[in-house]
Amino acid sequence: MSDRTQLWRMAPTELAPHEDALTRFQAELELVGGTSVCVGAGELVGEITATLAAVGAHRVGLTADLGDARPVIAQALEIARYDVVDYDAVAGDRSAVRDLDATVTGCLAAVAATGSIVTGATAAGRGGALVAPTHICVVETRRLVDGLASLMRLAPRLGAGSMMAIQTGPSRTADIEKTLIIGVHGPKRVHVVLLDGVLAD
Amino acid sequence: MSDDPLTSSTFAERSRVQLAKPFLRQAVARATDTAVHDLRVRFAGHDYDGLRELGREIRADTMADLDGFLVKLTDAFAANGVQVHYAADAAEARAHILRICREADATRVVKVKSMATEEIDLNPALVADGLEVTETDLGEYVVQLDGDRPSHIIAPIIHKTRGEVRDSLSRVAGRELPDDASELTGFARERLRDAFMQADVGISGANFAIAETGTVVLVTNEGNGRMCTSMPRVHIALMGIERVIPTLEDLSVMLPLITGAGTGQLITSYVSMLSGPRGEGEPDGPEAMHVVLLDNGRRALLGTEYQEVLHCIRCGACQNVCPVYRQVGGHAYGWVYGGPIGAVLTPLFRGTVDGGELPQASSLCGACDDICPVKIPLHDLLLQLRRTRVNDGAAPWRERLAAELWAWAWSSPWRYRLVTRLGGGAMRVMAAAGLMSSLGPLGRWARGRTLPLPARRPFHTRGERDV
Repeated sequence: MSDRTQLWRMAPTELAPHEDALTRFQAELELVGGTSVCVGAGELVGEITATLAAVGAHRVGLTADLGDARPVIAQALEIARYDVVDYDAVAGDRSAVRDLDATVTGCLAAVAATGSIVTGATAAGRGGALVAPTHICVVETRRLVDGLASLMRLAPRLGAGSMMAIQTGPSRTADIEKTLIIGVHGPKRVHVVLLDGVLAD
Repeated sequence: MSDDPLTSSTFAERSRVQLAKPFLRQAVARATDTAVHDLRVRFAGHDYDGLRELGREIRADTMADLDGFLVKLTDAFAANGVQVHYAADAAEARAHILRICREADATRVVKVKSMATEEIDLNPALVADGLEVTETDLGEYVVQLDGDRPSHIIAPIIHKTRGEVRDSLSRVAGRELPDDASELTGFARERLRDAFMQADVGISGANFAIAETGTVVLVTNEGNGRMCTSMPRVHIALMGIERVIPTLEDLSVMLPLITGAGTGQLITSYVSMLSGPRGEGEPDGPEAMHVVLLDNGRRALLGTEYQEVLHCIRCGACQNVCPVYRQVGGHAYGWVYGGPIGAVLTPLFRGTVDGGELPQASSLCGACDDICPVKIPLHDLLLQLRRTRVNDGAAPWRERLAAELWAWAWSSPWRYRLVTRLGGGAMRVMAAAGLMSSLGPLGRWARGRTLPLPARRPFHTRGERDV
């Protein structure tokens, strides 16, 4: 077997030694059409409301992996007259899922080298980060891993349940004459809020 | 198979049809150049060749003990609550899938793009059983609406213009849709969303299956793979037995290889790793997950000179660089796999009688070897298949006669001299009389070019005089 400790020399899906994870994450995500912003704990709710307002969302689903922050976010959104539901409460109702304009989720991990977020069936559900046209993902910066190899080593301990999904930017297709179209079956907009702090669980 | 171009027409006939479509060549060239260009850009500064070597090792080690890894995979699936079914051939695979659909009382099926399901010709069987089937990859959806076939492993409607796509989708809409890729995609999104929400069963392939953890890996950009495996009550994954990889960590090598070689992306928008049906306390997901392991001629290749073709990860890169594929497109190959990999797989899976001429559809330039993310020596395999075809006596008599005459002439100095003298003289006479275009296959080549004439005095005689 060849030496895989040097994988970063071969695969751009790994970080080079001393490369800054946060900077790379933001750059990669931007390259594939996603957006991101770094906030402190006090700015989290404001950032989420501002993003939802900017896209004109009304019905918003919140997933369980937001932890203790979920009721706080829900309360703030309700005051701002959003129609807020817990994703896990409506997940069984397909028409309710279909009506969601946006979802806000946490994540299990984020991959710096590829600008990816990682969600699991246990917390965000299979559809939580997928079904609505807008997806806002809260990433605690402590959850950043360097590259795919670190993610795979960590994966068995993430508690993802029956599905672990690596999601990178918005949904896309180039099937029609190779024209890149953003937003097919998954979200059109992916906004990552990098939280310098913890959501608490 | 009712409509089987492979048995009802020749490669030359199919190519002529495809070559008459100028859009095809232009579109294929543009699309495939983009993929190759993006690969270079995204992997710049990295030892891509070293990564390919790692990929080759993983695939070779897996095939060296395929049955062992399949046992591990099956055990891990079972531990995850996945029901595993084994299919020796296409008919058995179809039967398993139909039975699962019936037992689930299914009426509607949504599908993720999968070459394996194309290989077993699944959709007609599902429809004949009364099921409503919807392909959910945008390209495959259009292919299905048109009763067409995909023409590229990862870009199924590479051969269609936007206008043609608009016509197909407009028929579904019952109104004229605008000639705009974004609007057309938006229409398909809404339409397919209904299909996802109403479906009872989601059928996918598998890009990889991890033996260590019992996980099916789907690599997609549109998100339909996730939808098909999240919304319906039942998920069925059909996978060729060679899709297995040993460990989770192997995925960190195989993923950048498949996405890099396939589309020039570092990673696709969605990589779904599915390890069973909906678990305790999970808000959504299917009640049951089935995996159908498809042999269909694969195991028979183990231990043969063709074993390395099992390393293929279906990225489509060899199609992108193949000078023949780029002219004739995927449909000319007559079956589900086109390009160099198709020219190898088709005769191996369908037999040398039907697919035997496909290895001839190669200039043996080796571009496919150079780009293959797992370093399959496609060029050698094509040559080996040509050899087998001749040894089996399956080559046409004219080809055999020409080869025998050539061998006869080239195997003694005097015969060689005689033939080159006669041939050179004849060609000069024909050129003078303007008859070069009547030289059979050589004439077709000479029609657009000036054929260089042999020198008056052959090189070997010049050598003799100087010595």
